[in-house]
Amino acid sequence: MPDGVATQAKPAVKPGAHREAILYRALNGAGAGPAPVDELRERAREAYERLELPTWRRSGFWTTSLRDLDLDALIERTYAPGGPLPAAVAEGLPRGAVAGRLVQHGSTVIRAELDPELAERGVILCALEDAPRELVERYFMARLPLDRDKLEAASAALWSGGAFLYVPRGVVVDKPFDVVYAIDEPGTAQYGHTLAIGDEGADFRLRHFKLAPDLDGPALHAGQVEVYLEAGARCRFAPVQDWGEGQVVDVSTQVVQVGRDAYVHWLPSYLGGSLSRQHLELSVAEPGGDMAFRGVFFAERDEHLDLFAVDLHETGPSGGDVHWRGAATGQAKASFEGLIQINPGAQQSHTYLQIHTMMLSPRAKVDAIPSVLVSADDVSASHGGTVGELDEALIFYMRSRGLSRADAVHVIVEGFFEPLIGELEDEGLEELVREKIGEKLRAAAADVEAYAAAR
Amino acid sequence: MADLEIRNLHVRVEDRDILKGVDLDVSKGEIHALMGPNGSGKSTLASTIMGHPSYEVTEGTITFRGEDITEADPEDRAHAGLFLAFQYPVAIPGVSVANFLRMAINTRREDPINVKDFRTRLQHAVDLLDVDRSFTSRHLNDGFSGGEKKRAEILQMAMLRPEVAVLDETDSGLDIDALRTVAEGVNKLHAELGMGALIITHYQRILHYVTPQFVHVMMDGRIVIEGGEELVERLEREGYDPIREEVGARA
Repeated sequence: MPDGVATQAKPAVKPGAHREAILYRALNGAGAGPAPVDELRERAREAYERLELPTWRRSGFWTTSLRDLDLDALIERTYAPGGPLPAAVAEGLPRGAVAGRLVQHGSTVIRAELDPELAERGVILCALEDAPRELVERYFMARLPLDRDKLEAASAALWSGGAFLYVPRGVVVDKPFDVVYAIDEPGTAQYGHTLAIGDEGADFRLRHFKLAPDLDGPALHAGQVEVYLEAGARCRFAPVQDWGEGQVVDVSTQVVQVGRDAYVHWLPSYLGGSLSRQHLELSVAEPGGDMAFRGVFFAERDEHLDLFAVDLHETGPSGGDVHWRGAATGQAKASFEGLIQINPGAQQSHTYLQIHTMMLSPRAKVDAIPSVLVSADDVSASHGGTVGELDEALIFYMRSRGLSRADAVHVIVEGFFEPLIGELEDEGLEELVREKIGEKLRAAAADVEAYAAAR
Repeated sequence: MADLEIRNLHVRVEDRDILKGVDLDVSKGEIHALMGPNGSGKSTLASTIMGHPSYEVTEGTITFRGEDITEADPEDRAHAGLFLAFQYPVAIPGVSVANFLRMAINTRREDPINVKDFRTRLQHAVDLLDVDRSFTSRHLNDGFSGGEKKRAEILQMAMLRPEVAVLDETDSGLDIDALRTVAEGVNKLHAELGMGALIITHYQRILHYVTPQFVHVMMDGRIVIEGGEELVERLEREGYDPIREEVGARA
């Protein structure tokens, strides 16, 4: 994939690209809110009744369809607050201390723990249902729409529990806050909503887990996440999706808004889910905002992963640095579409998008599609990437030192992801992600071997 | 019986016959030089000894310490005590020199090497190679200069302590300091551990610092003349042409 540099003043729409433009489009600040929660729920409910289950189609090569999802077979499940942690949570979280942890099991927030010292300093971590109304109404769904498709509407209409994090002005917290969504019974529909706010000069880490054991039957998570960083705030945001090997469908939208001179390091890890459609949008909304937008994905078996990541610059000067890495084994299909969008007037925005992929099976498929929409003339926006295959010269080199072929492949793939995993700057989480990737490689060893032999 | 015995070795690469009947014996404690013009098959021999999957042995055998390893996997050859210092070492992004070496050592052991033993061994090797300790925390060969790559090869050799090492043109492209370091590394491992070495080289330079007991000259896939140190001097004086003519006259 050659580097491309776009400098055109107006978005160029290629013939035939119309459908693509409609379906894979930046939200660009078009939120349904802010507005009172009940009012938005009501609007979402109407949309939910009206809309069909979605199909996303791009240029004929890629379709993500939820037409076969049997919503009637899925129910929202409630659990006793304070009840036992699902095993996937008890065993699936990284080791190490946290500043606070909220766990939503099915539709119920079963835990909301916060370091009392932080609570005294004004930090809030609680169910979104219980969050202070004036804060919620100032931010809630300011950047999230509710009616692009039936599942988005379902999430906006039906969410319960939810997570709310507020880090007040100037408060610096070293340990991470954890928000956890867990499903542990087949037939579950979970509608999640997380709202996190970093007030002026706040500095914090948010880890956002979506976990399930290997479920025997279908389940659904439709979720929305919004993170707002006010002037000078800094946040390291590390979501982890690992729905196990069951039939878990995940349709989610996550947005991060970066305020004046604020900074986010956003690094999601997609490590499991049978069918996922994710819209991730990072908006630098005020001058001086800066960000690093990273991501790791590893699709296996017959998983289908559809990622749409938007690097949006609404004003300048602003900085951006987008860097994703993904691999696929088995018959997995993964698509990463990265859109750089620089709006009119966002002068002196500088951003770069790179996407590196690795195919580890002859039947796996990874598409990486960068695109650039630039509507300002004093900017730089470019993209690059690589499509990697296993390098036989490298494998022979390692074998000559005594490593088995499987170990050599493991080293190569780990090395491939390492530049991003190392950026998590969170030992426990790094270890967890490395281990997960190692497990997936071991599971796919025969596949990888067959691939090498075939070439 | 020699530790490494190569008998009538014929090797084909991508439908071309490169080696056409090579016989060679290398034992622990011996230093051999294999010389020859470019394209004579020296590097093919090195890769074949280590078991490169693209090199097809069509005839002959390679035996190491009594075991026929002609078809063995590269990792099994490594565990048996063979080592290849590559002419063109490849980069392993994301893996530090130290971590890679720890992995490689652990493939030779039941239990992982403990941290203290590993450190001691690494420090010893680092001193031997005259590199900065920080060298070992860099990603292996990633962004290394030519000289650093070759030093890293010798560092690995020092850590893995082979019975017999094959050095494939380790001297090419090195400045005199790096060359001296590489040579000293070989000499010390030879002296301390009795390592045997097959030094493959196009030039005579490295042989000013490592004295071979046996010298072999390869041309067109065969070893055409063998001798001692004096052969190096002769090559230095006369180049390969007179030998080529002699061999041609014999044939």
